[in-house]
Amino acid sequence: MTDRAPQSPQVWGDPAVSGGYTLVVCEKPDAAKRVADALSGGRSAASQVEGTTVFSFAKDGEEFVVCSAQGHVYGVSDPAEERTVYPVFDVEWYPLNLVEEESASAGRRIAAIRKLAAGAARFVNACDFDVEGETIGFNLLRYACGGKEKGALRARFSTLTEEDLRRSFGSLEPQAADGLARAGRARHVIDFLWGINLSRALSQSPLGLGHRFRTVSVGRVQGPTLGFLAKREREIREFVPTPYWKVTGVFEKDGREFSAWYAEEKVRTKAQAEEVRAACRGGTAVVVAVQRSQVQVSPPPPFSLGDLQKEAYRALRIPPSRTLQIAEGLYLAALISYPRTSSQKLPPSLDLRRILGGLGRVRAYSDAVEEILKSGSRTVQGARSDPAHPAIHPTGERPQRPLDGQAASLLDLVVRRFLAGFGPPARRELVDVSMDVGGHRFKALGSRTTFPGWMDYYGRYAGRRDQEPPPVAEGERAGVVSVTVEEKFEQRPPRYNQGSLLEKMESEGIGTKATRADMISTLLSRGYASGDSLTVTDLGFAVVEAMEKYAPSVVSTELTRHVEEMLEGVEEGAGGEADVVRETVRTAAEQLAELFANEGEVGRVIDAAIAGEASKAGALGGCPVCKSGTLRIVRSRTTKKRFVGCSNYPSGCRASAPLPQRGTLRPAAKPCEKCSWPVVYVSGGRRPWKLCVNPDCPGRSKP
Amino acid sequence: MKCAVCGREGAGKLCQRHAVAKERLEAAYPLWVRAYGRMSWGDYLDNVIRNVQTGPWAKEVAEALRDS
Repeated sequence: MTDRAPQSPQVWGDPAVSGGYTLVVCEKPDAAKRVADALSGGRSAASQVEGTTVFSFAKDGEEFVVCSAQGHVYGVSDPAEERTVYPVFDVEWYPLNLVEEESASAGRRIAAIRKLAAGAARFVNACDFDVEGETIGFNLLRYACGGKEKGALRARFSTLTEEDLRRSFGSLEPQAADGLARAGRARHVIDFLWGINLSRALSQSPLGLGHRFRTVSVGRVQGPTLGFLAKREREIREFVPTPYWKVTGVFEKDGREFSAWYAEEKVRTKAQAEEVRAACRGGTAVVVAVQRSQVQVSPPPPFSLGDLQKEAYRALRIPPSRTLQIAEGLYLAALISYPRTSSQKLPPSLDLRRILGGLGRVRAYSDAVEEILKSGSRTVQGARSDPAHPAIHPTGERPQRPLDGQAASLLDLVVRRFLAGFGPPARRELVDVSMDVGGHRFKALGSRTTFPGWMDYYGRYAGRRDQEPPPVAEGERAGVVSVTVEEKFEQRPPRYNQGSLLEKMESEGIGTKATRADMISTLLSRGYASGDSLTVTDLGFAVVEAMEKYAPSVVSTELTRHVEEMLEGVEEGAGGEADVVRETVRTAAEQLAELFANEGEVGRVIDAAIAGEASKAGALGGCPVCKSGTLRIVRSRTTKKRFVGCSNYPSGCRASAPLPQRGTLRPAAKPCEKCSWPVVYVSGGRRPWKLCVNPDCPGRSKP
Repeated sequence: MKCAVCGREGAGKLCQRHAVAKERLEAAYPLWVRAYGRMSWGDYLDNVIRNVQTGPWAKEVAEALRDS
C-alpha cells in the first residue's frame, strides 16, 4: 500500500517561531460553520476559497481559519485502473475526485485546504472523533496539509453546541495515539481489496460465456450479511407446516364472560382436541389457583446508534440507513449528540440539568422535566460503553428552523428516551388464573400497569398493553359457555426486516455501527434482496451459492468477525495494521484462486440468475391471447419506445399493446376484471393512475 | 443431472434446494398422520400444496410428487 495523494509543501518549519493562523479542519461544512460561530461568537467572516466556504475570525489575538471536507475526500483505488483485471493486491490513496466521477467536489475541497495550509502555523483536527472521522482528519492533515498528522492538535466534542465547542477548543490536546486512524485506513484498504477482487471475479464470470457484463458485488461484510438472509430464506422456502389444535373455552361468572385456553397450548392430535371439547362442553370450571405477581420494569437504557436504529424502525418504520442520515442532520443542527456511538451510558461529566432545562422549555416535555428536576432522580445507564462518545442524547437546544416529519419524530424519540431514563421503574401486576374442568386444565392471563413510571415519559413509544384479568377468585366456579377447537399450523420463520437484520449483524459482530445500515441498503440496491420483509432474489441466491461452494470464507461470519477483532486491536494500539492487511490478502488470494479455477461454473450460475431477474423485471402477467406466454414490457430496438409483447412471440403469438412512454410502470397484483389483460400503475405525473394495457378493453379508462 | 422440478443442475434427480425440501416433506408426513389419525400420502401432498404456510420449494416438490 502506498500513498499517491500528493502532499503539500511544508511552508512552516516550527509553528512556535513562525507566524500564521490556526487552521481548523472539520469533517462537514455545517460543522465548520458551527465551530466558527461558537468560537467567534457569531462574528466570523465567510469567504470563498477554491469554490468552498471558509470562515475566519480572530480570538484572543489569534487568527483562526475554519475549513471543511465533505466526508471522505481521499479514497483507496487500484493504480492499474484495469477494470477487467483481478486479482489486485496493490492499492493506493488518491483524492476521491480522481477515482469517483461523482466526487468532483472533493478536488475543490482538497485544493482549498492545501491553499489554506500554506499560510497556517498551527493545525487543529476537528473532525468527528471516531474511526471514520479520525481517518478523514488524518488523510487531510497528511496529504492536503503537508504531513501535519502528527503535530496537529485535536478538538474532541460530542455535540455541536456552542458550549461544548468552546469547552473543547479551550482544552485542545495534542493528537495522541493514531490507532483509530490506522485502523480506519486499514479497514478501507481491506474492504477495497475484498470488494474489488470478488466483485470483478463475479461480474466477469458470465463474460467467459460471451454474455453481458453486469456489476455483481460482494464484500467482506456484504457476504455474511447476505448469508444471513439466504439462510432464513431457505428455511422459509423449504418449510413444511405441521398441524396442531388450539382449544379455547368461553366461561361465565356472574353474567360476565371471559376466555381461557387449554393449558396444553398446542394439542398435537385432532382426536385429543375433540376429546377435550366433548369432555368440557356444558361443564363447570373450578378456579384452582389465582396467582398474582408484581414485576418491575426498568427504564430502557439511553440510545446507542444500533438501539436508535432498531427502535426507530419498530416505532416509526424508518429504515436504519435513513435513521442514521436523519440523526447526522440532527447532530449537525446541534439538536442531538454525535450519533455514531456504541455507548448506552451518559457520563457524569454531561450537564444533564442544562439539557433538561432546555427541554423543559418545550411544552410537550415540560411536565416530565418538572417532575424529573423535582425528584432529583438520576438517569439509567446501559451496559455498553464507547470511549469516544456518550449515548445519543438531546442537547436541549431548540430547532432554528422547522424540522420535516421524520426528523421531528426521530428527535421526539431521542428526547423521550432520554427523559424515560430518569423515570422510576414501572410496576405491572400479572394475574395467572388456573381452572379445572373435569380434569382438564385451562389458563387465563391478565396484566395491568399499576404504576407507569418511566412509561409516561416515553409516551407512545412505551407500547403499554394491558389485558383485563378474569373476574374470578380461587375456589370459585364458572360455567363453561362454549369450547372451540381451532385447527392451526406451525408458522414458517419470519423474514428479516431492516431492523431485525441490523440486530443480527450487531449480535454476530459483523460490520461497524457506522456501516451496517449502508450495507443493508447495498443489498437492496444490488438487487440481492427486495421488499420490507427482506426477500432474497434469485441473483442473491446465485451469489451466495457460488460463494458457499467456491469461496466459503466470503459468506462466513468467522472471517469478517476475525478481521473486526484484529482492527479493534489496531484501534487500541495493540496490533499493526500491516499485519491485518497481509492476513486478509492471503485469505483473499486463496478464495480468489478457487473462484478463478471454477470461473465457468460460477459464470453459468450468475448468468442464469441475471437472465431470470431480467425476465421477471418486465413481466406483467399471463398472456390472455395464447394463454401460455407472459406479457412483458419490451423496448423496440428501432424506435426505442416501450410496448407490451408476449414471450411467445417467437412461437407466433402477436399479442401486443402500446404503453405510455413517460412515467414509471408498476404491474398491479390482479389482471383487469373486464378483459383479463394485465393492469399497470403509471406514476411520474401529478397523480399515479391505473391502466389496463389492452387497447380494446371494454372498461379502459384513467380513473 | 437436471433437477426434475426446476431443471437446475443437481447431484441426483433433484437439485440441492429441492432435495432438502423433499427431506422436509418426508419428515413431516408422520406428524400429519399422527395428528389426523390417518392420512394417505396423496392427501398429505394435497394438503401441503394448499397450505399457505408451505414454502415454495416444498410446494414445488409436493406438486411434482403428486403429478408423478
